[in-house]
Amino acid sequence: MRKDGRQIDISASISPIKDSGGHIVGAANIARDITERKRAEAAQAAQAQELTRQAQELTRSREALQTQTALLQSVLDNIGEGLVAADENGKFVLWNPAAENIVGLGAANVPSQEWTQHYGLFLPDTVTPFPGELNPLSRAIQGEPCAAEMFVRNPALTEGAWIEANAHPLKDAKGALRGGVVAFRDISERKKAAQEVLKLNEELERRVAERTAQLEEANKELESFTYSVAHDLRAPLRHIAGFSGILVEEFGPSLETQAQSYLHRIQEGTRKMGQLVDELLTLARVGRQTPNLQVTGLSSIVREVIALLQPESEGRQVEWKITELPFVECDPTLIKQVFQNLISNSLKYSRPRSLAVIEIGQIQENGQPAIFVRDNGVGFSMKYADKLFGVFQRLHRAEDFEGTGVGLATVQRIIKKHQGRVWAEAELDKGATFYFTIGGLQGAETVTPVAGVGVGA
Amino acid sequence: MNPNETDILLVEDSQDDADLALHALRREHLANNIFIARDGEEALDFLLCRGPFSERSFDHPPKLVLLDLKLPKVDGIEVLRQLKDDARTKSIPVIVLTSSKEERDLVRSYDLGANSYIQKPVDFEQFRETVKTVGLYWIVVNRLPPPGLARRSAEQGTS
Repeated sequence: MRKDGRQIDISASISPIKDSGGHIVGAANIARDITERKRAEAAQAAQAQELTRQAQELTRSREALQTQTALLQSVLDNIGEGLVAADENGKFVLWNPAAENIVGLGAANVPSQEWTQHYGLFLPDTVTPFPGELNPLSRAIQGEPCAAEMFVRNPALTEGAWIEANAHPLKDAKGALRGGVVAFRDISERKKAAQEVLKLNEELERRVAERTAQLEEANKELESFTYSVAHDLRAPLRHIAGFSGILVEEFGPSLETQAQSYLHRIQEGTRKMGQLVDELLTLARVGRQTPNLQVTGLSSIVREVIALLQPESEGRQVEWKITELPFVECDPTLIKQVFQNLISNSLKYSRPRSLAVIEIGQIQENGQPAIFVRDNGVGFSMKYADKLFGVFQRLHRAEDFEGTGVGLATVQRIIKKHQGRVWAEAELDKGATFYFTIGGLQGAETVTPVAGVGVGA
Repeated sequence: MNPNETDILLVEDSQDDADLALHALRREHLANNIFIARDGEEALDFLLCRGPFSERSFDHPPKLVLLDLKLPKVDGIEVLRQLKDDARTKSIPVIVLTSSKEERDLVRSYDLGANSYIQKPVDFEQFRETVKTVGLYWIVVNRLPPPGLARRSAEQGTS
């Protein structure tokens, strides 16, 4: 205890004092103030403690780091995506098992220019080597994020693998480029599925094409069958007509009236059949030929047809109402047949009228011009409208109106050949109107002849 | 009938068609010197004076050949081709008289040098009219070069 009452640490040492003869003569007691020393010792202890604590902390954080590293490693080891990283020199610094699995090879010490060859990288077509400068990792190392699909000739797999790769540059904390990382996954299944779909589509298309070809073939066969039947029917028909004609001429006078009448019926039958066969031949021919398109004024065709049908209107009162018709691109011979059929029908079915009124003009149908031929004849019930254009379909009795039932079928076929549509509107005893459009009508204005503007003009 | 005095060579395999043609020609008094060949081979033998017709002379060609296209053995187109290919027979007028209305046949016939192409009408009156017109024109109206002359000029032309 010091005089100021402060307790201090001292160190005391007592030692004997001896005379020259070695006899103890006294004792020396030395007490020293050791406070400073004590303090230093305490500081030392604290420091040691701190160190220990820090060491422990370090150990802990190292353990934590190890745990995290192990965790990350485990993640890298177990994710399905391949991960490969390389430094700025193209040296691989990471190559996870999935990457090895997908590529079939591990990290190799080869320059980036040789990756394509070493790892067997191809474009998705599986045959063109993947251009080195387009390799996603190479581009990422140069600071460019990039995605690509490629085919890898994995030596472990017979068929190789398609992969989808996404690469990104790697930068350090200061933002300096340190390399690149590429993540990729095997998309072979998806690719195969897509190819399967493609193959199925192709197969489907092939089958459709095959069917279409078969149908076209069948159609052609049917047409040539129609043609040859009609054609071959002509010869025996000619013989019947010829010999019955000779019979009437040379032996007619000596035959009984009844026999003569039978002979005339044979001739009439032959004539009708001849007409039928010729119309069938026309129908078959229309089906077989491609329209010979040229810009044609429909008005002049109508005038021609009316002149041609003059004999049919002879001795009758017919009022023609004809408006100017457009110029269109069509086969004039075929379109003439259309008008001939329609106008001839109009004349025929308006026969019971004391004044036949036949109108020919054009209307707008869904913004497209349509030509019409209208009459005030006996018409027909719309109930049967769908039968109108069928071969051999007739809506009137032969005794009332003669006909073969081939005319409108021919009209329809010709119009179809011109990418057009034909339809009719009628009411029983109130007349009928036949309409048709043809592909060429659409551009009617553009095909109207215009004055040419020459360069020198 | 002397084959050297033939006016018309009718090449027709159908007896019926041949009879009808004969009947129509007879009415126009054109049937006196007709020879009927029943197939293409016979027609060629006749025209080229060979085989059974080696006695015939090129100096007496028919004034007209009425040729059907559908024929046994050698078809009408081939007959036409050989006929028009041969300097000795090329000036003989050939009327293709057939039931075919095929454009292809029509075009080929004219290409090969047919002088006319007629489809046999079904109607007998029309047929008779046709035969009359054809017969009168080619047998009565038309003038042909003397056979020897025509041939010599053709030969000079090709040499």
